[in-house]
Amino acid sequence: MAQTTPSPAPTLTVAPPAAVALSGVGKTFELSRGRAVSALEDLDLHVAEGEFVAIVGPSGCGKSTVLRMVAGLERPSTGTVVVEGRSPRELARSHRLGVAFQEHALLPWSSIRGNVALPFHLAGRPVDAARVDELVRLVGLEGFESARPRQLSGGMRQRAAIARALVLRPDVLLLDEPFGALDAVTRRRMNRELARIWSEERITTVLVTHDVEEALFLADRVVVMTGRPGRVRHVHRVDFPRPREAAITRSPEFHEAVDLLTGLLDAEGTA
Amino acid sequence: MRRALGALAHYWPIAAVFVGWDLWVVLNGYTTVVAPRPGLVLADIAAEPGAYAGDLLRTLLTSLVGLVLGMGVGILAAIAVWSSAAVSGVVTPAALVLRSVPVTAMIPVIARVAGYGDSSILLIIVVVSFFPAFVLTVSGLAATPAAGRDLFGVLGAGRLRTLVRLQLPHAVPHVMVAFRLTAPSAVLAALLAEYLVGTGGLGHLFSTARSYMELERAWGTALLATVVSVLVFVLARGAERRVGARFS
Amino acid sequence: MSAAARRAALATTGVLVLLAGAEAVGRAGIAGPSWPPLSEVAAHLLDADRRATVVRAASATLASAAEGLLAGVLVAAAAAFTGLLLPPLRPGLDRLAALLHAVPVIALAPLLITTVGREATPTVVAGLGAGFVMFVAFSSGLSLGGRRSTHDDVFDALGANRVRRLLRLQLPASVPTVLDGLTLAAPAAVLGATIGEWFGAPRGLGVLIVSAMQNFQVTLLWSAAACATALSLAAYGLTTALQRAAVRRMA
Ligand SMILES: Nc1ncnc2c1ncn2[C@@H]1O[C@H](COP(=O)(O)OP(=O)(O)OP(=O)(O)O)[C@@H](O)[C@H]1O
Ligand SMILES: [Mg+2]
Repeated sequence: MAQTTPSPAPTLTVAPPAAVALSGVGKTFELSRGRAVSALEDLDLHVAEGEFVAIVGPSGCGKSTVLRMVAGLERPSTGTVVVEGRSPRELARSHRLGVAFQEHALLPWSSIRGNVALPFHLAGRPVDAARVDELVRLVGLEGFESARPRQLSGGMRQRAAIARALVLRPDVLLLDEPFGALDAVTRRRMNRELARIWSEERITTVLVTHDVEEALFLADRVVVMTGRPGRVRHVHRVDFPRPREAAITRSPEFHEAVDLLTGLLDAEGTA
Repeated sequence: MRRALGALAHYWPIAAVFVGWDLWVVLNGYTTVVAPRPGLVLADIAAEPGAYAGDLLRTLLTSLVGLVLGMGVGILAAIAVWSSAAVSGVVTPAALVLRSVPVTAMIPVIARVAGYGDSSILLIIVVVSFFPAFVLTVSGLAATPAAGRDLFGVLGAGRLRTLVRLQLPHAVPHVMVAFRLTAPSAVLAALLAEYLVGTGGLGHLFSTARSYMELERAWGTALLATVVSVLVFVLARGAERRVGARFS
Repeated sequence: MSAAARRAALATTGVLVLLAGAEAVGRAGIAGPSWPPLSEVAAHLLDADRRATVVRAASATLASAAEGLLAGVLVAAAAAFTGLLLPPLRPGLDRLAALLHAVPVIALAPLLITTVGREATPTVVAGLGAGFVMFVAFSSGLSLGGRRSTHDDVFDALGANRVRRLLRLQLPASVPTVLDGLTLAAPAAVLGATIGEWFGAPRGLGVLIVSAMQNFQVTLLWSAAACATALSLAAYGLTTALQRAAVRRMA
């Protein structure tokens, strides 16, 4: 079921046109006193329209940097980043991006409903109350519409952030460890919820995670990155049929894939 | 009895002020011409509340109007300056210098330049209230968390929407801190200005009572000035706590 | 250009623009005869004879402010520690702090003139102004208001007694707040000293400023006001440097 493509030419396995295309991307951060750190080097990553790609890699390898470049929050030092045929900033300006980062960034003075409706306000569009309610329900926050973020648990806040990311039906969805703060049980439940939501909306998605099982459960392809400076070390195609049920995580193929990817990560961690 | 003890636990400082004041006068053997005992002062206020009421109201109103005007202008100036990093880098340090001018130096200069009169007193309170609001609003606008700014960037929010929906609400607690800090200073500035160049208000009442050697009246005025100042501070602190909780 | 150098350049530009603006207003006479060009104020301060008056006044103010600050800090510390030792008084400390924070020192200055005398009033008012601020800082630093931190829970769990808790938790934890308070108390002492001087002290910047105002000595008025501002800025600058150093040391 699960098969592995060798690393050197991962881009060839996806037919163009890519929704997200990073080509030969490098990123160097200037530190103080003239020192610099090279976070990414010559990275190629192409995500097809409607595809779900997960990125895993050792801590500090540049996963968040990749996501921030796709979101237009960082500019690559070398190479190009193209999203939906445009620059990431243009896409952001036309309100077609959805993001949920590890730091949920909910507005503390606004209710949950207000936070989920925020993208409508920022796009200068009338709020579609039905859509907002639908997403609040989808992430299981019914009954908390008028609560303020501070009154919710960490997991509930992250769910609100995901609802906010989805509310405008973005062209591209970017998730950076959206379930990082959750316990294992809630995390699995949120994974199933996200899988269900995603199969309804089929939005081009890039997910950064530390959790190999999460990546395999959700994604069409899992990209394993090398330690700093980050590059693509390995791309793993996941062929479990959708909609995916929790049962697949108990299949031998799933375990095999988990072992394979965990082995790659361990090798990176000690390298 | 229980109730009374509870109230004492919370309000003993007020009782302590009066007891301490009385003891201080009695133990030093001060005559009424040097320092009157609290009973006499309270009796003067109770006997002729009308002699204080007008001036008290005037001081309170002048302080509040000046405070609101000064803070309003300070907030608007901060928003205007914030739109450019270079402009705010130029203006903010100069504002910090002006903020350090002691009111005792500011009042005579402003009174000399703008004339002795009520409009100068209002101007003084406006200037005193302007700088804290300006400085703290600028720092509040700048202190918006990076995660919030990133989010608004990715969602394609323009400068104006980012200002209105992210940075201004974020600056509200800072503005309230300025309000709490400034409220007693505004009252102090009003009293000092009235004392020096005013034609009315508690500060002026105080200076006339002193020059006519009406010591009970002078001390009564000082007592009421303290009450006004403390009340304004307590209200401002309450507002700060309540609004701060709403915005964080 | 580094960010820090850029910031310094902008700040210098701002202060220079401020000074140039004041000079221009004075030269053009827009604000009337009581707004002199700053160059005349500077000339006043550069002239040795005329400077002597201002310097004598400034050193009197500085002495009052410094003595008052020292006394205020000591008395405030003693009062806050008394609060620490007498738990039944604590619920009222919050109100006492509010009271002290808001007392307009003008209400006290003239009363002091008749009791402690004209000479001592500036020092006493400076001490009261600084002491009020420091009392608030000490009591919130030692968290006398009754707020508990997780550290308190840890110390409870470890069975720490009151003295150990004071030495190892409350005192070190209070340092930043107390130093924060000091950055406010030092300018407050300068302000208090000049307020005390307003009400009839024999010498000091406050006296000089009021008499210059009443006698239309415009450049003297501005020189003395500039001096008072410089004292206040220096008090703030020095205590802020101290506070930054301590925070860096403790972080
Ligand atoms: N703004 C920045 N300034 C300087 N260095 C940075 C900056 N952002 C990231 N880096 C550096 O770039 C490297 C990659 O950072 P990044 O946050 O992308 O890692 P990551 O893979 O997301 O790590 P983690 O899994 O721990 O979240 C790190 O070494 C980090 O120190
Ligand atoms: Mg990261």
